Order: sequence, then structure tokens, then C-alpha cells
Amino acid sequence: MHISDGVLPVSVTIGCYVASAGILTWSTRTTRSEDLPRLAVMTAAFFVASMIHVPFGPTSVHLLIPGLAGAILGSSAFLSISLGLLLQSLLFQFGGLTALGANSLMMGIPAVMCGWFFQRFRGENQMRQSITGGIAGAMGCTLAAVGLALLLATGGEDFMGVAKIALAAHIPVIIIEGVVSGFTIGFLARVKPALLNPSFVRSSVGVTRE
Amino acid sequence: MHDPHMPFSHTVSGETLFSVRGLSYSYPDNTRALASVNLEIAKGDRLALVGHNGSGKTTLMKHLCGLLMPSHGKVFFQERLLEGENLDDARLKIALLFQDPDDQLFGHTVLDDAAFGPRHQGLTKEAAEAAALGALKQVHLEHMAYKAPHNLSFGQKKRAALAGLLAMKPEVLLLDEPTTNLDPSQEQVFLDLLKSFSGTIVCISHDLIFLYDLCHRAIVMEKGEIHHDYSMKELVSQKSALRGHGLDFSFRMVLPALKSHSNGSEYDKDQTIIKPAGKMVESTLKSHSKALECDKDQTAIQSTVKLHTHECNRTPLLHLKGYSFYYPDGTAALNGIDFKVDKGEKIALVGENGAGKTTLLSSILGLQKGKGEFFFDGMSVTRKSYKKLWQRVGMVFQDCADQLFCPSVDEEITFGLRQLDISLPERVQRMQNVLSMVHLEGFEKRVPLNMSGGERKRLALACVLAMEPEIVILDEPTAGLDPQGEELMLEIIRRLDATLLLVSHDMFFVGELTNRTVVMHRGKIVENLTTHEFMKDERLGNLNGLAYAYRRESTHAIQMLQHEHEHSHLHHHLHSHIHRHGDVVHEHFHEHAHEHPHRFVHTHPGEEKSHHHAPRRYHDHQHPDHESETHDHMHD
Amino acid sequence: MPDLSDSFEGSFFHKWDVRCKIITILCFCFMVASISNFAVALIAISFALLVIVMAQVSLQRVLRRLLAISGFMLMFLLIMPFSVPVLPGDTIIVPNGIQWMGFNMRGLYLAATVASKAVAITMMMEPLFSTAPLPVTLHGLSRLGVPEMVAQMILLSHRYLHVFRHEASRISSGMKVRGFRKRSDLATLQAVANFTGMLFVRSFDRTERVFDAMKARGYKGCFPEPLVLKIYPLDIFISGIGVAMGVLLIAVDKNFFI
Repeated sequence: MHISDGVLPVSVTIGCYVASAGILTWSTRTTRSEDLPRLAVMTAAFFVASMIHVPFGPTSVHLLIPGLAGAILGSSAFLSISLGLLLQSLLFQFGGLTALGANSLMMGIPAVMCGWFFQRFRGENQMRQSITGGIAGAMGCTLAAVGLALLLATGGEDFMGVAKIALAAHIPVIIIEGVVSGFTIGFLARVKPALLNPSFVRSSVGVTRE
Repeated sequence: MHDPHMPFSHTVSGETLFSVRGLSYSYPDNTRALASVNLEIAKGDRLALVGHNGSGKTTLMKHLCGLLMPSHGKVFFQERLLEGENLDDARLKIALLFQDPDDQLFGHTVLDDAAFGPRHQGLTKEAAEAAALGALKQVHLEHMAYKAPHNLSFGQKKRAALAGLLAMKPEVLLLDEPTTNLDPSQEQVFLDLLKSFSGTIVCISHDLIFLYDLCHRAIVMEKGEIHHDYSMKELVSQKSALRGHGLDFSFRMVLPALKSHSNGSEYDKDQTIIKPAGKMVESTLKSHSKALECDKDQTAIQSTVKLHTHECNRTPLLHLKGYSFYYPDGTAALNGIDFKVDKGEKIALVGENGAGKTTLLSSILGLQKGKGEFFFDGMSVTRKSYKKLWQRVGMVFQDCADQLFCPSVDEEITFGLRQLDISLPERVQRMQNVLSMVHLEGFEKRVPLNMSGGERKRLALACVLAMEPEIVILDEPTAGLDPQGEELMLEIIRRLDATLLLVSHDMFFVGELTNRTVVMHRGKIVENLTTHEFMKDERLGNLNGLAYAYRRESTHAIQMLQHEHEHSHLHHHLHSHIHRHGDVVHEHFHEHAHEHPHRFVHTHPGEEKSHHHAPRRYHDHQHPDHESETHDHMHD
Repeated sequence: MPDLSDSFEGSFFHKWDVRCKIITILCFCFMVASISNFAVALIAISFALLVIVMAQVSLQRVLRRLLAISGFMLMFLLIMPFSVPVLPGDTIIVPNGIQWMGFNMRGLYLAATVASKAVAITMMMEPLFSTAPLPVTLHGLSRLGVPEMVAQMILLSHRYLHVFRHEASRISSGMKVRGFRKRSDLATLQAVANFTGMLFVRSFDRTERVFDAMKARGYKGCFPEPLVLKIYPLDIFISGIGVAMGVLLIAVDKNFFI
């Protein structure tokens, strides 16, 4: 779920722009500059993954992916997510231009945190990586939902109710996201472990390149 | 005497363009990809790089354009070491065409993309765009210049990628499998474009018929080493070397040769000429006798009668009547198709890319629903049963990466079986059966992603077969396989006892595996005849833009080169053995001429005419007692 | 530069200098976002309508953008009348005496204001983005201080978005052919996870190849300057009008309040 234009107070949207610009600079610095084109291509993959729908009872929910993005991209995830959101507001419909900063913070910060969490606790064996990945996935989604609620709450007491309900509405998404993330990380650990070392990040332990 | 270490150095005439010296390369995980490769490529060379999948061809090519740096050894381009600034310069002169054009077309529009290289050569925006437009014109895509790459068809993308390279006016073209997934007419266009390129060409391909037309020189690679350096004509006549390197495409040559030579041989006879292994004989005979049963008139089996006119009481397994499919924008992908498949039939579906084959298959699979009547096993397919067609129809996709998505082979195979609610013991049983059918016994725990291209293709087939579908659809089952892989695939498909629908541009496979051919063109079925008739019909080559003719000619030319019998003639050898010059006894590589009789495969201009053997031609044969002979030769 | 987007090319929006266009529309959008009055928000929508007509952009695409935000907006409209705290002076409609279901008109008013602002801004996106080809818009952004690399990365992402969508749809047909249907169960989630994993693996491998292809064609870390932009006085004049419209809205908004 993304915040639309006109919902947040202007001061908050501008503050979010400034904050996300700062984090963005940091995120870009930690990414190896020669890998930026590759990160762009990978961003497209995350974009497509975020369009996957999973049935939930009579309706369906789409994946949010911050946890997976963090696990795979590490600190580059913030840059990737911001790009994805900008692309989304450019070409597609959701997430307005004025709320871009807020949306970047809401999705990007959880991604980076989950990435850190996953790398810290992943361990060696596949099962453990899978479980850590699942927790990271659920956590990413939870943090994003909390972020959404907090941002909505900046609108004042009038918006508290919406914030609470938005938070509650994310509970099924959190569960599904956690399970899918866990399975996905398990799949990658078995099939292509190199992908789980954030390989666009400077000084990463990933594949050495020329 | 197939000695891999004979350093056959092809006589390089003219200016040396690439010089590879002692090149070795290991991947980060320490698997060795190249080992002390020495190679000279002259300006104007047309060089084919051939060998097994995984023999190091692509790795070598990546070194030629500096995408990989040697672990040991050196690569020179125009006498300058391919490194640092030299490399930056060289990249602007060396063009690399990737197998998948989507890797290469990263521009926002076709024109932007084609101008990318020229811009990096330092041209202004205007000059770069002019160069790009010129190149697009060359590949007949000027009308697509302002389109986004994703609006192009595969063949167009491939040409657009080539235009991006030609716009840089390169001196060298490096091509990685340039014809994969192209239909014959696009392939012809592509071949013409490459032939008109005036610079040097290095081409990786498994398609020896294509290479035979394009290249003059062939490098055979094996396990990261160069095993042979032949002229193209020598390569195709070296049967034993070809087989040793998994390049023996001669299995392709046998049947058409028999077909074209055995004049008057009819349908039945052809069937018996092929000597397929075990089950195939049974299954062809079976389908044959079925045809006999329902068709009283025996002469009808003769190739002159179209098989689809076998109107008997039996209902066809699949029947589309007046079936059409329209894209959302209103263009027709299928237009009034009448298509019938009898049980046990082996049908080939041919036609240019975009003729509607894929749409037809999607309809049969129940992925898309068009307008018209659709019967399966006599029952009209309703909205509800449409969704269950997957239980009865199976398909192996052209790109098996689209079909394999599980972390292990056993999960992959049982995925479909679980959807069918099949019990665990039977799942295991079926898995064992299909794995042995496709020669993948013991692969249960392997990761599909890490298997070789040929293994993955066979696994995809196994996944489909495990579900025991009534119709098996194979979409270009041999795309991207090396000849050895093709031969194995051919053998497996031959043994299948199922109704088969084969989509292929490969006329050899069509001829080998099917008995009816359906030709599609622009959403319509334009021909429906026995494969035998289809193969005989020269006209079909031009009928709907399917240019099979040149392949036939090349095949024929190669067959001519493959004649084998005994000869005695003077020829040169380059080899190493101990020998004596007066009192000096030593051993080193040297070339000298001698004469003795031996058998080898060689060319004949015509059946009765006397023929010529180039005296300087290398081929494998025994030299009895040669090692101990005294002889003299020049020393530098 | 021929037109890439399928919209009409002749309006002054298409000729407007892209930097002026971005700054003006962005300023206008932020000013609309700061409106706190429903009536003024409606005026903003009418301004946006006027712009859409003048820019001659595709109405269908505007509608699609509006449809996309409708879910989020509906959430506000449905929840806020019931969730806003009751302040003195609020009009509350209580259906059949069910106290807890009190429908607060102020909540509806607030939600409607938010929704109108969102609609007005969303309507402005189409004139902003589809009146110039994407590379031009992005180049405009980069000339306004966004690093050129960001613009190029977005172009690359955009290009491969299409490639990966095709890839994803092919994998999904591959699954369907083997009988996969999405259900609400664990096996579905497992299959979706494999699908996602496969998508990442293939994309990751592709990043290497794309990067190789770029290097092979001379890429050394920077993209060539895509085009030259030039500002004419007319561009600034139009921008002036645009900003003035925004300022007018704000002025009206504040006056109404006081």
C-alpha cells in the first residue's frame, strides 16, 4: 500500500523528501558505482515481483517485498526501492509524486533494516536462512505498515482511526509475506546462494569482479 | 590417430588481428575454463568456434573482447595488449552479439540503443543518430527506429541488436549463437547480413550448416583447449573428429540422403529405411496399422493421399473447427483454423515466427480461449473443461527456463503430479520411469538450475511425460542443444508412444519424427499434407517465407564432402616423432610429405567423375611404420 | 525528437521546456497538497481538468491513474466519518439510534478534501509525464539536480521491466500448464516463492549480461548527454502562469478560512 498525494501535511511530505534524499545519498555511496546499471536491472525484477498476487480467501494481496529486497540488496535496497517508486509514479498509477519521499522512507528503511537483520542472523544452513528470511520478510512488512500508520498519524488526531485500521489491514499481508519470503530465501539458498550476499554493496563478501 | 595435441596451425595470411598467447582462465570457484590457448586470427578471417556445450567457446570469446581478463597469458588486438586504455579503444572496434537480444537492447528506443555505441565513440548526438539510422536501414528496421525494443519481434530484436553493433563500424564481429530461435527466413536474412559484413567474424554456433555457409575456418574446442584448427571444409569432412567433439551432425545427413536418392520409395519404404530403436518401430507400426484398419483402400497410405482425409468413424482426439483468436487490438492471431489430430498421430506444425503457432498451442493447452468450435475426444470443450485441458495436454516449452522453477529435480517432476492428486508411491514410481526415459537416472536431488542445457531440456520433457498427457506438444525441442544433445533428444522423442505435436524449424526433425505436416501462415493453415509430401515439395520453400532451400543445399554440399573410401596419395603431415638427420636423432614437430593408402572422408564432385584431393589436407589416419621411417625435412 | 507516448503532440505542453514544466507542475502539486478547504480542492480539480484539456492527453490514461488511487481514497471516505474524534459543533448522523455508528459529517468532509486533493494532483501527472518522451523528462530531472545516473537507471529499469514481465508471464504459463492454480494454501505460497526466486535468479544473471553488453559497446561509467535543452522566455511565462494558479488557490484557501 502506498500513500497517495494530498494525504500528508505538506510539511511532512517535504520533511520526508529531505530525509529520504539523505538516506538515498548514503545508500548510493555504499553501492559500488560500477554496479549501478546492474542494480537498475535488478530493480525491475523487484518491481515485477511486487506485482505478484497471492490469493487470500476471497480477495488477493500483492507482495510488498521490502524484506526480500533488503536480504538480496543490503544497503542498496533503499536506492532500488526509491527508483522503483519513482518509476511507479512516472509510468503507473500508484504513489503520487508529492508523497514519493514518504513512500521511500516507509518502504526503504524497513528494507535496509531487514537486510541487516538477515545478514546478521542468517547463519549457514538452509533451514536457518529460510527461517531468518521469513522473519525478515514479515518484519519488513510490519515495519512498513507501522511506517504507514505513523505517517498517517502525522495528519493529527483526525487521522488516527485510519492509521489504526490501515495497520490492522496489513496483518494477513504480513503473514503471507513472511511465509513467501522464507520459502524464497530457502529456494535461493539452495539454488543460488551467491544472490544472498548483497553483491552490489561495496566491501561485500560477494563474488569478486574485475 | 586423433591426436589432440597436434598444433595444426592454420596458415594465417595477411595482417594478424587477434593474437592469443598461452591464455588460461579459471572461474572464481577455481573451475578451469581455458587452458593455454594459442590462437592467431587474421584480418578478414571468418572463424567458427565449435565444440561441446561447456567447452570454453564463450569464455574464449569474452576474452577476445576483454569482458574477461586472463588468469594467465595474454590477448593482443592489433598488436596491442588488450588491457586498460587499449581495451577501451579496442571495445569500440570489436562488436559482440549476444545470444539473447534483450541483453543487448538496453536503450529506451531502438534508435537510442543503436546510437549508444557511436556516442561512446565520441560522435555528436546528430552524427551518432545518423550512423544508427544507417545501420538500422542496413538491417531493414528503419521503420522501427522510434519504437521501444519490447514492441519488436524476436527476429527484429536480433537484427536491432546487430544494428547497434554495425552502427559502430566495427572491425570484428563476435557472434554467440546468432541463429538460435530464428525461423529459416529470418536466419537467411541474418546470414545475408553477416555475409555482407566486410570485417572479421568469429562465430560460436552448433549449427554447422549455417557455419558452413558463413565461415572459412573452424576452431574445435574441448575442455578449454583448442583441439583442432581446420578449414571449414576440412572440419565437415572429419567425421571422427566431429564425433569426438560431440559435433557429429552426420546423423542428420543420413536420412535426407536416402530420401532424395531412393527414387520412388514410398511412404512405407521410408518407414522401414529408418532403423529406429526398439519402441519406435512398434509405435510407428502401431499408428500405421491403425491407419490401415480405418482405411480400407490400401493405396491410400501411399504418400499421394493426404493423411488428414482419413475420414473414418473414429472421432479425432482433438478437433478445432472455424477457430479464431483475436488480440485485444483486433488483429487476428488465428483466423478460421480447422485442425484435427487423431490419436497416435505425429504432427509437425511449421510456419514462420508469428504465423500463429504459439497462439494455436496456447488454445490447445487452455491458456487462451478464442472463438469457434473446440472438441476434445469428441466432447465439446466448455468453459469449465477448458480449465482442465492441462490434465490431457502437455507441452515442453521452447525455453525450458520458463518451465523449471523448483529447487530440485524430484520436486520439479512431482509438481504436476501433485496437482493431479496422485498418490505418493505412484509419484515416485512415475518419476523413476520418466527419469530413465530421458536418461537422467539418479538426478533426483540435483538442482535443475545448475544442470546443463541438454539435461534441463530433458528434465522439462520428463516433467511433462510424468503427467501422462494424451497429447505431447514439443516446441523447438532441440533449440540450443549441441549436435550430441540433439541426437539424444531425437532418440528419446522417437521412442515416445503418444500423440505428438512438434513445432520446429528443423526440417530434419520434422522428417524424422512426424508423418503429417501442417503449415501455418498468418494465422491460417495453408497446407496439411503428409510429411513425406511436404519434404518432397520444393515449392514450400518459398510458399510462406520459409526458406528451407538453402539448408538443403548446404546439407547436400556437406554430404558431398563426407564421402569415404580408400585412397593412396601424397599428403602432408605435421607431427612429432623421433627421427634422424644423419647422426642427429631428435624429436620435434615438423611437416613433411609422404604417400600411403588410407581411408578418409572426402569430397566428390559427382558420382562417376574422378576427383581431386588437395595434397595439403589434414585428416586422421594410421601411419603404419611411419614413426620409424628415416626421412629428411627442412630445419629452420 | 519524434513522439514516443501515444498522445497528441501539438499542444504547448509538448513544446514547453521540460525543466520549466517539471518545476511548475511540482510547485503546483505541492500547493494543492497544502489546501485545507474542500471547495478550494474542487477548484484545484477544475484547474487540473483545464490543464488536461489543454495538454490534450489521453483521458483513458488519466482515468486509469484515478482508478489506481481509488482504493486508498475509498478507505478514507469509508473510515473517517466513523473514526474522527467528535469535536464540539460536529454534525453527527446516528442511524436508528445506534450510538457507536455515529456518522461524523466533519470526517466525511475531511476525507473528501483529502480525496479531492489526491484526484487533482493525480490528474496533473499525465500532463507532466506523457507530454514528453520518458528520456526527455528524465533528462529534465537530471538537469534540475537529480544525478544523471538516476535518470539512466530509471530508463534501464523501465526497459527491463517489460522483459521481466514477459519472463514472469511465461513462467506462470509454464506453471499453469502443469496444473498450478492459486489457492489459499501453503503449497501455493511455496510455488509462488519458487516463482519469485526463479525470477530473481534469472534477473540477476541477466544483470551480468546486460552490463557486459554495455561495456562491450564502450560504456565506462557514464552515459552520453542525451539532448540539449534550451529555455525561451515563453517557457518561463507559461511557468509563471502555472505558479500563479497555485498561489491563487492557496490565497483563496487561506481567505476562506479566516
